Amino acid sequence: MIEARDLMVFYENMIAVNNVTLHCDDGQIVGVFGANSAGKSTLMYVLSGIILDIQRKERMRGGERVTVFSKITYAGKDISLMKPHERAREGIILCPERRRIFPESSVLENLKIGAYLASKEQAKETLDYVFSLFPTLDRLKDRQGGFLSGGEQQMLAIGRSLMAQPKLLLLDEPLLGLAPSIQKDVIRVIKEIRRDRRISIIVTEQYARPVIPIVDYAYILENGSAVMEGKGKELMNNPDVKAAYFGV
Amino acid sequence: MAEEGRRKERIDRGIKIRTSGLYAISGWPELFYLIFPRFILIAGILSLPLVFSFAPYWRRVVCIVCIYAMLSIAFDFLANFVGLINLGSSFFIGLGGYLTAILNAQWGLPPVLSIPIATVAGAVISTILLLPCLPLRGIYFAIVSLMFPLIFEKLIQAFNILGGTNGIVGLDGFSNAWWEGYTIIVVTLIVLFGLRRLVNEDVGLVLRGVKDNDQAVKASGISVTFCKALAVFIASGIGCFAGAFLSHLYMWAGLSLFALDFSIMPIAATVIGGGGTLVGALIGSFILVPLSELLRSFGTLRVVFYSLVLTAFIIFKSEGIMVYAQRKYHQFERWVKV
Repeated sequence: MIEARDLMVFYENMIAVNNVTLHCDDGQIVGVFGANSAGKSTLMYVLSGIILDIQRKERMRGGERVTVFSKITYAGKDISLMKPHERAREGIILCPERRRIFPESSVLENLKIGAYLASKEQAKETLDYVFSLFPTLDRLKDRQGGFLSGGEQQMLAIGRSLMAQPKLLLLDEPLLGLAPSIQKDVIRVIKEIRRDRRISIIVTEQYARPVIPIVDYAYILENGSAVMEGKGKELMNNPDVKAAYFGV
Repeated sequence: MAEEGRRKERIDRGIKIRTSGLYAISGWPELFYLIFPRFILIAGILSLPLVFSFAPYWRRVVCIVCIYAMLSIAFDFLANFVGLINLGSSFFIGLGGYLTAILNAQWGLPPVLSIPIATVAGAVISTILLLPCLPLRGIYFAIVSLMFPLIFEKLIQAFNILGGTNGIVGLDGFSNAWWEGYTIIVVTLIVLFGLRRLVNEDVGLVLRGVKDNDQAVKASGISVTFCKALAVFIASGIGCFAGAFLSHLYMWAGLSLFALDFSIMPIAATVIGGGGTLVGALIGSFILVPLSELLRSFGTLRVVFYSLVLTAFIIFKSEGIMVYAQRKYHQFERWVKV
């Protein structure tokens, strides 16, 4: 599905992602774990192409120089230089960190904005699917996005990314700031999405314990480098990983 | 995307690191490094009246440039350090100009008194008038500030007060050209270096905090409205001084003090010079105003010219001259292997 080789990103002279190679097969859920500043979000920006946009804006403003080296093949095509909106058209959809929903649009409008790339039938079908996944959103259809609670906003963000008909869904810290019971719901939903839509999902998180049971394969980032990788179960039993990412 | 296998690296020059922070200056090169750019600026501006001593028209232009430079510095200060976009700098010019005209031509105070009184009184009046929109964040300040010059201009015109469309005539001029040139230049330099100091003091840190996140500033127990009012007071004081000086320079205060030029030019100068540097705003005015004087024969087409320059800068070099120059001065670049 997607294969990213030797990714390197520099923010000015600071290295954010160092030689990371990542691979995700069709229908897999891949986890990327790491502490703050490990480079998870940057990795997501590279995969979704947003980094190219950040790079351009910084250059125009005369700010930091962002240097990116990447070789990304997606569905047999080299997409390293593809713009973010073209990648979205190809089915790589990012659900950004801290949700970034549109606060002044209602829930329904937020979802409709997400469906910009979908056909009418697809949009209708996906909308019903999103409401079946998150019945809460159905109830809050007309509420403004900014007035939702953190958990509801996260549901909305995931729903919005689903509306864009992803083939590869990038979830950046979907559990950020959620209560444990809601975290559990979100994890269950991620699993259901994979089952129902047969898409690949890459999910990043700081605290691995809730996510690791559902991932097929996982990478552990530390200061930008992938220090360890393996099947979810194997990593779970590794004592170093346990100490650092499971809090035991 | 960068070239294969190597990237360009930006590194601070050693001398920059040695001369920043503790000011551990250990020799002439460091001293020179610190003083050179400031010296060039100060000496360059101070020498302008001498250079143009045989061209009275251009000497007058230098004064006008300094007036625009002060407005631009005030605009840059409000926009990039406090987060208030002021679209009505001409309001400050008009207010300062008319106040000094009343004080001087009608009440008979000498310019030595009328200019400072107009500056302070104008700043107080502008702050009070702009106060209602200061607690709000967003576009409100910009809209209200855009309206004030129009309101005052039309009020004076409609009620035929303060000389109506003829304006107030008979202000005292300056006794000689050296006085007028050096007064405005020295004040401009004081404003520039004073504001540069101010934004790095504690007050300046709080103001920048207000720009970034006013809720966090409120949560730290500081009144955002007070901080913004203080900033508006400072900026409008600068603008009113410029206006008061201008009307003494022309010995006349009229409706053209509220002209749109005084609002647009500072914005253009700040963009060209580089926002957030304060010096950039000054340099931008020193480029734009003389150019617009040179293009005077084209009449109103001048506006087309600055609009084009402004657009070109935003598209091709939106960082501005000064940000670029500072980077080149403090940092060097080299290719490294990754």
